[in-house]
Amino acid sequence: MQVKIIIDGKEILADSSSSILEIAAENGINIPNMCHDPLVEAYGGCGLCTVEAEGVPKLLRACATKPSDGMVIHTDSDRVKQSRKVALELLLTDHTGDCKAPCTKACPAGTDCQGYVGLIANGEYEEAVKLIREKVPLPSSIGRVCPHPCEKACRRQYVDSSISIAFLKSFAADKFIDDTSLLPNKADLTGKKVAVIGGGPAGLTVSYFLSLKGHSVTIFDQMPKMGGMLRYGIPEYRLPKAVLDKEISLIEKTGVELKNNVKIGKDLQFDSIRADYDAVIVAAGAWKSSKMKVNGEWLPGIYGGIDFLREVSLGNKPEIGKNVAVCGGGNTAMDACRTAVRLGAENVYVIYRRTKDEMPADPQEILESEEEGVIYKYLTNPIEFTETDGHVSGVVLQKMKLGEPDSSGRRRPEPIDGETEKIALDSVIMAIGQVPELSGLEELEQTRKGTVAASESDFLTSAEGVFAIGDVSNKGADIAIAAIGEAQKCSIIVDGYLKGEKLCYKKPFVVERDDSEIDYSNFIKQPRAVMPQLSPSERKTSFAEVNKGFTDEMAKAEASRCLECGCHDYYECKLVKYADENDVSYKRLSGEKHSRNTEDRSELISRNEDKCVLCGLCVRVCDKVIGKSALGFVDRGFGTVVLPEFGKKLADTDCTMCGMCVDKCPTGALREKQNIKKSLVVKENSKITVCELCEKRCPIDVRYVGNTIIRIKPYGKDTVLCKKGKFDLIEDKTLLQK
Amino acid sequence: MKVVVGQGSCGIAAGAGKAFDILENKLNKNHELTFTGCIGMCYLEPIVDVYNNDELHRFVKVSGEIAEKIAEAVNNNDFSISAEYEIADDDKAFLSSQTRIALRHCGLINPEKIEDYIADNGYEAIKKCVTQMTPEEVIEIIKISGLAGRGGAGFPTWFKWNAARNSESEDKYLICNADEGDPGAFMDRAVIESDPHTLLEGMLIGAYAIGAKEAIVYVRAEYPLAVKRLKKAIKQAREAGFIGKNIFGTDFSCDFTIKAGAGAFVCGEETALIESLEGSRGMPRLKPPFPAQSGFLRKPSNINNVETFANVAWIINNGGEKFAAMGTETSKGTKVFALTGKVNKGGLVEIPMGKTLRDVIFGIGGGIRDGKEFKAVQMGGPSGGCIPAHLLDTVIDYKALSATGAIMGSGGMVVMDESTCMVGMAKFFLDFTAKESCGKCTHCRIGTKRMLEILTRITEGEGKPEDISLLEELCYSIKDGALCGLGQTAPNPVLTTLKYFRDEYTDHIENKHCTAHECSKLVKYKINADACRGCTACAGKCPTDAITGEVKKAHLIDRDKCIGCGTCMATCRFGAVEVE
Repeated sequence: MQVKIIIDGKEILADSSSSILEIAAENGINIPNMCHDPLVEAYGGCGLCTVEAEGVPKLLRACATKPSDGMVIHTDSDRVKQSRKVALELLLTDHTGDCKAPCTKACPAGTDCQGYVGLIANGEYEEAVKLIREKVPLPSSIGRVCPHPCEKACRRQYVDSSISIAFLKSFAADKFIDDTSLLPNKADLTGKKVAVIGGGPAGLTVSYFLSLKGHSVTIFDQMPKMGGMLRYGIPEYRLPKAVLDKEISLIEKTGVELKNNVKIGKDLQFDSIRADYDAVIVAAGAWKSSKMKVNGEWLPGIYGGIDFLREVSLGNKPEIGKNVAVCGGGNTAMDACRTAVRLGAENVYVIYRRTKDEMPADPQEILESEEEGVIYKYLTNPIEFTETDGHVSGVVLQKMKLGEPDSSGRRRPEPIDGETEKIALDSVIMAIGQVPELSGLEELEQTRKGTVAASESDFLTSAEGVFAIGDVSNKGADIAIAAIGEAQKCSIIVDGYLKGEKLCYKKPFVVERDDSEIDYSNFIKQPRAVMPQLSPSERKTSFAEVNKGFTDEMAKAEASRCLECGCHDYYECKLVKYADENDVSYKRLSGEKHSRNTEDRSELISRNEDKCVLCGLCVRVCDKVIGKSALGFVDRGFGTVVLPEFGKKLADTDCTMCGMCVDKCPTGALREKQNIKKSLVVKENSKITVCELCEKRCPIDVRYVGNTIIRIKPYGKDTVLCKKGKFDLIEDKTLLQK
Repeated sequence: MKVVVGQGSCGIAAGAGKAFDILENKLNKNHELTFTGCIGMCYLEPIVDVYNNDELHRFVKVSGEIAEKIAEAVNNNDFSISAEYEIADDDKAFLSSQTRIALRHCGLINPEKIEDYIADNGYEAIKKCVTQMTPEEVIEIIKISGLAGRGGAGFPTWFKWNAARNSESEDKYLICNADEGDPGAFMDRAVIESDPHTLLEGMLIGAYAIGAKEAIVYVRAEYPLAVKRLKKAIKQAREAGFIGKNIFGTDFSCDFTIKAGAGAFVCGEETALIESLEGSRGMPRLKPPFPAQSGFLRKPSNINNVETFANVAWIINNGGEKFAAMGTETSKGTKVFALTGKVNKGGLVEIPMGKTLRDVIFGIGGGIRDGKEFKAVQMGGPSGGCIPAHLLDTVIDYKALSATGAIMGSGGMVVMDESTCMVGMAKFFLDFTAKESCGKCTHCRIGTKRMLEILTRITEGEGKPEDISLLEELCYSIKDGALCGLGQTAPNPVLTTLKYFRDEYTDHIENKHCTAHECSKLVKYKINADACRGCTACAGKCPTDAITGEVKKAHLIDRDKCIGCGTCMATCRFGAVEVE
């Protein structure tokens, strides 16, 4: 019988035997649900599909409610949203796992580290590079220079040592550095014009993504070539400029126009750019070396760190003499001291007021500089630069000791009264930080730090249509990947802006565990791949790249060490999807959480009770559809759990390994074993075909990436696969060709 | 003379078995010794009734010693002991103030003898139904009576019968819900143990009305005596031809089976009960379809509670109008309550609807024990709510009770005095429902657990200012989101205590103080040095050795060791232990 109902204001002629949930779905209104599946009867457990019907005091479950003529249904009233939100929040308070891996979450650009590491382990290099390029259009360069927060977060360090994530990135990216075929298809031209001020990592990235979206982008940069700090701040021995050139060339091939030697305020006025372009993105970087306020700092022979590196990059040879001091303990200081060694200095000192333990520079860089002969003067602070004939000739160092920890948690250096040291010098490089130089951009509101003030959520500055990203904005100079991360997010917001939409960046919702909650004792130790390098003696006299790169074997072995921390169901999980859509804040409801840590891995199916939401689909499908009783509910209340019958392992029950439970599971509580070298969590491609292992010819959805088949799922709501279709068929490597 | 020993579970627990054995040994054989079920005065058990012609001697709290004296009195026909051991006049009012319909035979007949039941018009009602009335006419009488479901929801019985009647099917089932699970409720047990044939006859009438050929009693396995007497009754009734094929020579056939429940509270919910009957895990089903359309084995089924059925034969025999004449506009007939807690006289109370709570608690129940103040009464067990002192004049009526936030429920009436912490009380019931949640619904399974955690931290002095609003948010979300009655009503104890005793919550949270001195983590004991005699008794009993002191000198409590259990206070004979 047909009845007329209204759902969310939409008049619908519906079949009275269908549920509101089904009717809504047929009409493009997707009511969240986790426990419903057309193969089994309505269950009503999850509590997400509640809707409000006018004139009915109780909330109704859409999965179990049949329409009656004239019914007026609301699927998103405040009461419904509140009920749904609380249901999601309650589920999340007892859902234990990691939606995303710590490496991915630690990356300021959100690069899917676990994803591309897994792809590399499977030899899917091209797919790995495509995945990286979704967030980072300069992967070969970034892989070489990034201080890799991902590796600092990598949980493999609790087993032995972190995965060499950054080098794996440049390893894969180098293979396709000349390959334009990897560039995504460009959208149709929108006719919108975007000006980007500054062609560093931020400017290049935002230009790349906006260009792919069909906008006409022009980068204006004051330097002779694009690349910003990657070119003028990072020495050749770490990042060969030939690599950077190739990556910039790929970006240019997407249609970005590059205009160098244009200084805003001098060669071109900011006003005229604003007038000529639909949106302006300021990504001018931070190019001015910070001062230390020490006597004699103005003396000839004293260079700013960034100025020194830029001169060298431009091919000039600054006069630094034999004895050189570098002040500072960050990565710029490392670049400066190692460059000084390569320029022929005999004694290169690094002056740092704390100890090696507190030094912010990458430990690997410190080690390599030591190998190259750099002398470290820890616990010293320059108090005066001395002068001979109008040129710097030495430094007086105040000796320091460590006192109580300061607000940053590091122990505060305190001078030791009366203890000083003098060193004779020919030159000094002050690598203590850098700030933006904002001439020409005066009309933009600034922060107290002297950077351009921009909104944290949409990057908008005080000027209409002007956005700011990277080192020039807000908290100032940071690592390149942070600038790239802002640029990628900004590209989405600017794209929206150009289409007349007001967007805001929202951090994706994730469930996460603390590193300490995981038992690492079952992992077998396997040392981290050692990057082959030039010998220290070769390095000291040459700007040739220090790192020689991984071989394929080394890369695959290294990538295979990944612990696969992120949930394998991330892209299929309904819980994380709904949580993200419904702005949940579940922490206020948190309490006891199950952490049973009893992963039951059969040969083909793995169960993780800690991720189960008790939707019962596995139990019901097994019972009502397959006619088996491999799984059932045990216990009551909060302790209710789905377990194989009689406390057995799944493989010891009457389970036929059809995998239907896995395919119906809305979260990662049940998953199929992937018949590949390293299990993958990536957005999968889908190929619909039929299983030809028997005459039933069930429709199947083959999930693959590159040439790797990840899994097979039943296709269509009525399809019930057996073990043959679900698992055996994967062995057929010709499946994809068919 | 006829000597009758009350042998319900309660009587047996109090020692009725021993009294019976002694009487059996000592009584001269010319006297008749028999037993009955629950008389209803739990606080006076064991009870022995001696019928001397028309004269009744009711002996209470019968110990072995008294039993011997009773035997002697009967044998010698000398009741000079009466003044000392018989029921006091004051206590006689406990029964005389009641109007008993469902309990009409309780304590009067021998539940294991069908003859006793038949002697009081037994099985006449079903005979009248099947030989003189159509099922529709039966339903009409029930409709006139206004009988509503006594299990708690109060849904009109005729409506359910009619719906099942109108569902077309060859097979239909009539089911009795005897899965009495509310803590403190024992009405159904008393009926089955004391008068099982009343239940069977009521069910037969129901089966005839809806057209069922099979009747099932779903009874708690924790009621072994009830199960035993029920089995016996079914056997007797079958032998007498009241159960089985062609009852009273008509086309009406109906047989009975008993299914013992496995102890899950949620199986008192009718759809979960059906799942359990079918051999599945007791988890509620979605409604609709209602059991009247698709119940046991997907066939039309009607489920009523024991007390509901216990009224049916009486209604058929006496007419619907007579039943409807009792009660209020919206609630007809009588209701049985299990009166327990801090009340002087606890037991089974059946009164007409429309009486007040005060009538029951202070009238029949004799007020609060030990001269303490009445604080609240919890109605309807874990699904119900509490009603405070200022609402004691609320009439017993489905609508009036619901208006307070509590419910009629199945009849549990737990009386609380000033020494009961209301947060602790809410926690107690929530602990029960949280554990008994079947685990199906998110809101109930996790929501009640979170509420319990919040209540626990409040009673332990760890409550946060935002906890009250968080509790309220969860309460309303669970009521809205839970699938079955268990979840939808689980927040009621919290909501009503928040409504009437909010101050106690804030006192716990803000001042870390429990007025009732019941939350052990919030109670601080000290010894009044002037009153302490140094007898060392408290120190000896203290489970954590928190009390020190020399003999005959004032003792001291070490705050760090004290767990606030209150043993010292209970032990001290000089009132020297005080609460700060």
